[in-house]
Amino acid sequence: MNVITCEGLKKNQRKVRALSDLSFTIKENTITGLIGRNGAGKTTLLKILAGFWRESSGEVKVFNQHPFNNLYVSANTIYVDDQMSFPASLTLTEILQEAEVFYENWNGKLAKRLFDYFSFHPEQQHENLSKGKKSTFNMIVGLASRCALTIYDEPTTGMDAAVRKDFYRALLRDYLEYPRTIIISSHHLDEVEDLLEDVLLLQDGSKCLHLPIDELKDYAVGLTGRTEMVRQWIANKEVFHTNNIGAGTTYAVVKKEGIPLDNARQLGMETTSVTSSDICVYLTDQTKGGIDDVFK
Amino acid sequence: MIHSDGTKPIYVQIAEWLETEILNGHFKVDEKVYSQYKLAEMFTINPATAAKGLNILADEKILYTRRGLGKFVTNEAKEIITDKRKNQKLKGLLDEVALEAEQLHVREEELFSMLKESMEKRKGDAK
Repeated sequence: MNVITCEGLKKNQRKVRALSDLSFTIKENTITGLIGRNGAGKTTLLKILAGFWRESSGEVKVFNQHPFNNLYVSANTIYVDDQMSFPASLTLTEILQEAEVFYENWNGKLAKRLFDYFSFHPEQQHENLSKGKKSTFNMIVGLASRCALTIYDEPTTGMDAAVRKDFYRALLRDYLEYPRTIIISSHHLDEVEDLLEDVLLLQDGSKCLHLPIDELKDYAVGLTGRTEMVRQWIANKEVFHTNNIGAGTTYAVVKKEGIPLDNARQLGMETTSVTSSDICVYLTDQTKGGIDDVFK
Repeated sequence: MIHSDGTKPIYVQIAEWLETEILNGHFKVDEKVYSQYKLAEMFTINPATAAKGLNILADEKILYTRRGLGKFVTNEAKEIITDKRKNQKLKGLLDEVALEAEQLHVREEELFSMLKESMEKRKGDAK
């Protein structure tokens, strides 16, 4: 069953187009990574799915309903980011108690355990928390809510490396215990990729790729060899990236499908795998040349 | 044990890890191996990825499925794994050795004696 269906989704903000003609579906009880460069439209998409913002045109369905201003969708969805606002008059403990009233599947035991594990002070106010602590607290709310659709928009902002690791493990363990549909947007694909089933890669408000993470890892291959040979060999292939390393040597990233790798090796080129994170960067590269060109 | 550096897909690493467990005798014939959920929890990976690893082994007849119960080690599992590793992994490693030796102009006799030395060193280590 599909939890999310988008068909020709568009969103304009003033005169700027944030999303253009976006179509995709997300299956129930999967973890999807939403990846894209700054300004690719990740947050816009997630806010529309959560029912916070209204689309400009096209069709969007969450649990088969139109999400904007929809009670059913908001009762079954939680949107977690670093700007979640809670009443300033409540302490952290009171926020967790109130959250229990809002969310039917709220797991109070998990919330309490995580709260103690990350050493929060019960009397503390949300607005006085540090950036990382705020994200950690919001993550606890996101996990404990156990909403059928749980959306994390850059959930690890400000978290230190140890907390991020704990968060990923907590997310996965709770998902195994209580499967639900999770979307997580992140700039750190290398950190989250093991958790994911699918990846949705956005570029300029459009879909660039939507595929299982294992296929993304196998999507491209890196070739290193003498410049003339590499140039000639990749001429009729889909090339995502090239880079000259030193004199006469070139590194190229090409689409792996249908590439005779043995042939490349016999010719003396070195073949290497390309991390999914790098593939995403190459696929969505919009900068002209490289950063070095700025300093020329 | 599992490296996410991108050199090998995670599901392949899971399959290879289970193969090694079978070779070491941690899982015996007709014994149930870890479920996709157990593997997901052990290695902090998505259960769908773990399932892919298990399915590779099922396709290669190293595991068999009992509906609703899980995946179990086949009679021929060890034999299939040993055969596969010899023909693929070991042969691949030797190809690399041959290439490196060629580039360094190492002669056959020298290479053989180096290999012999390595094997003797391992025997010594095992004692």
